[in-house]
Amino acid sequence: MELHRRNVLGLGGLAALAALLPSCASALPEADVGAAGFGEGATGTVRLWCRAATVVGVRQVVDAFNASQDRLTVEVTPVLDAQYVTKLATAIRGGNVPDIVDIDDINSMLFIYRDSFTDLTPLVQQLDFVDRINPGQLRLAVRDERNYGVPYIADASALFYNTELFQRVGIDPAVATKDFDGILAAARAIGALDEKTYGWSVDGNAAGILGFVVQPHIWAAKAPNVVGEVGAQRGSLADNDAVRRTFQLYQTMWKEELMPKTNFSGDGSRWGADFRDGTVGMLPANFSVAALNATPEMRAKTGVVLLPGPAGGRATFAGGDNLCIPRGAANASGAWEFARFALDLPQQTNLPAGGYIPVRSDAATPEYRSTFPLAVTPLEQNAAAYAPVTLAYNLLFNQQDSPWIGSFRRAVFDGDLDGALDQGQDDFDRILEQAQL
Amino acid sequence: MSAVAERRPAVARRSHASSPTGHSLTHPPRQGVLLVLPALAFVVVFVLVPLVFAVYMSLTNWPLIGSYRFIGFDNYVAVAKDPVFWKSVGYTVLYTAIVTLPILVLGYVLAVVVRSNRRGSTFFRTVFFLPYVIGLTTLSFILILEAQPGSGAVNIILKALGITDGTTAWLADGPLATGLIIVMIVWAVSGLTMVLLMGGMQGISRDVYESAEIDGASWWQRERQITIPLLRPTIGMSLVISVIGSLLAFTQFYVLTRGGPGTDTQTVVLYIYQRGFVQLQLGAASALSIVLVVVIGLVTAVQFRLLREKA
Repeated sequence: MELHRRNVLGLGGLAALAALLPSCASALPEADVGAAGFGEGATGTVRLWCRAATVVGVRQVVDAFNASQDRLTVEVTPVLDAQYVTKLATAIRGGNVPDIVDIDDINSMLFIYRDSFTDLTPLVQQLDFVDRINPGQLRLAVRDERNYGVPYIADASALFYNTELFQRVGIDPAVATKDFDGILAAARAIGALDEKTYGWSVDGNAAGILGFVVQPHIWAAKAPNVVGEVGAQRGSLADNDAVRRTFQLYQTMWKEELMPKTNFSGDGSRWGADFRDGTVGMLPANFSVAALNATPEMRAKTGVVLLPGPAGGRATFAGGDNLCIPRGAANASGAWEFARFALDLPQQTNLPAGGYIPVRSDAATPEYRSTFPLAVTPLEQNAAAYAPVTLAYNLLFNQQDSPWIGSFRRAVFDGDLDGALDQGQDDFDRILEQAQL
Repeated sequence: MSAVAERRPAVARRSHASSPTGHSLTHPPRQGVLLVLPALAFVVVFVLVPLVFAVYMSLTNWPLIGSYRFIGFDNYVAVAKDPVFWKSVGYTVLYTAIVTLPILVLGYVLAVVVRSNRRGSTFFRTVFFLPYVIGLTTLSFILILEAQPGSGAVNIILKALGITDGTTAWLADGPLATGLIIVMIVWAVSGLTMVLLMGGMQGISRDVYESAEIDGASWWQRERQITIPLLRPTIGMSLVISVIGSLLAFTQFYVLTRGGPGTDTQTVVLYIYQRGFVQLQLGAASALSIVLVVVIGLVTAVQFRLLREKA
């Protein structure tokens, strides 16, 4: 047998066509969530994938669930956050999916728009507390008025402040944190206390953090930086006064050295350590960073409000995780049983112990208020929670090469505000256009 | 008659190692084909099929999940108009241009140091080659720690030498991060060039050097007139490996900067990765990959041509 180049290429072509055929298969089958007995009395194992970043909170709920009955066992597989979307997408492409996924709510839409998650509308609407679920998070799993997931832990951004430092400068934090003028005045006063004390701190080289804590200032002004519906979205930076004023505030605080020098390179690995040490007046962060890891003494002198807009208003990032059931899940019934358990009040009220905020507003019981006082405001004011519904969140905000961090750094650290906004506008528009291909 | 006459030249063209029937005189027929078949199967399955498949995908809007449709050359048209892709191309070319010569020069110097069989040569060969064996992923993770402002070894040493104040944020600044990565790459990869060149140097006959020495040639003259000309094919191969490696740079940038700050340190492969596995647009990423394959093929062809002409 003689093998010619022509034969080899022909063989390659045939193999390629063979490889194409299975990939042409349609979406995985969807569980019949309306079937009698769905979500009740299931047995066996439920395979749960969770984000590595939220594994503490997830395990807390899973352990409680496994201990509460012996029919079902939930097995947790933590997946690194940076690889989560890719791994889940690959699993779906391969047809071997987990039964339920704990997914960063801002990434849910990526899968919902590609018909990868089960339509849970009748189940979600049957929950007798559905009107008390964090609305900002809930809308991140809704497409065409259908629910493809349910939020179960919230991770809200807020402004934490050191009451002792505010007392020393004689400023009322409740008043000073209402708008940018008040914040700047307070930061200047606190920064003037001594050389080692700063008014404000943010990790300025951590894309995810900047998306989490800087954007709410803009949303508080009702001026989102991503506008339009998925499929026809564009950025709004160059013409967005709230973005301009937010970057200006940071630029001023950086120039006047009201922020620590280490903010320039802060990558999130020591996020909030300076605040917990008592050397920073205000820290935009979350409950976990500002309070959970702080000493009881530091917690006692910490206060919290939502993040203000340039001229007032308040907002928070509708962060956290959704529970979604991928199409093709082997034990969808058991998966929903776990989801319902995770949403029950006993689990919800205990979430701050793992660093998270409940998604149900009725979780703010008297006991909750006394045990986790710094987790009350983000929960009570969750009506102000927002995050953009877009297929390109990671590319716009979370990646280290995303335009949000690029614009922020250019405006704040390089001092080129106009250039930053123009460049950011171009990059947002380009990425959003690509995301709609 | 005419048929015999026509066959004669064909027989004459056969290799002297073959029989008049065209088969090897020393091996059974088809043995050669059978021996290369496993390798051929690997090439077909892992190179040709994915390549054909990638070309097909590049003509679709293939997402990692969900259905897809044929969109012709839209992805290629988009490549031409994609400013970030071309910025990453420019950055990658600049990076390649900067690292290539230092890697070659340092590799050459190291090869000169360790090429003889003097006492200790093996030790130094191992030491110089070790960074390459450790691998870029491990080295990059170590560098993340050592480049930290205030606490990293890089900053501590520079502060001790009075060059900086020790708070330099190397990875938060495009040019600084590039400089640091270049230093690490030159240090880590020169060992490979050293091994390649050393092999070539050891293949040069001692007689040539001895003749030159008798003629009174200095060390530098011997190096310039004998070693470098005879080493040209090896140098060429080292350059091709080095340039292709630099054009495909990914690991060190993925670990150390993720392309940031902004897109200041985004290489072509990193951008393709983002499009494919972050944005889940495998169709667009495939088109970018095909363009990259063609560009690298052209660059390599030009390199070979230049080196051949010089030779």
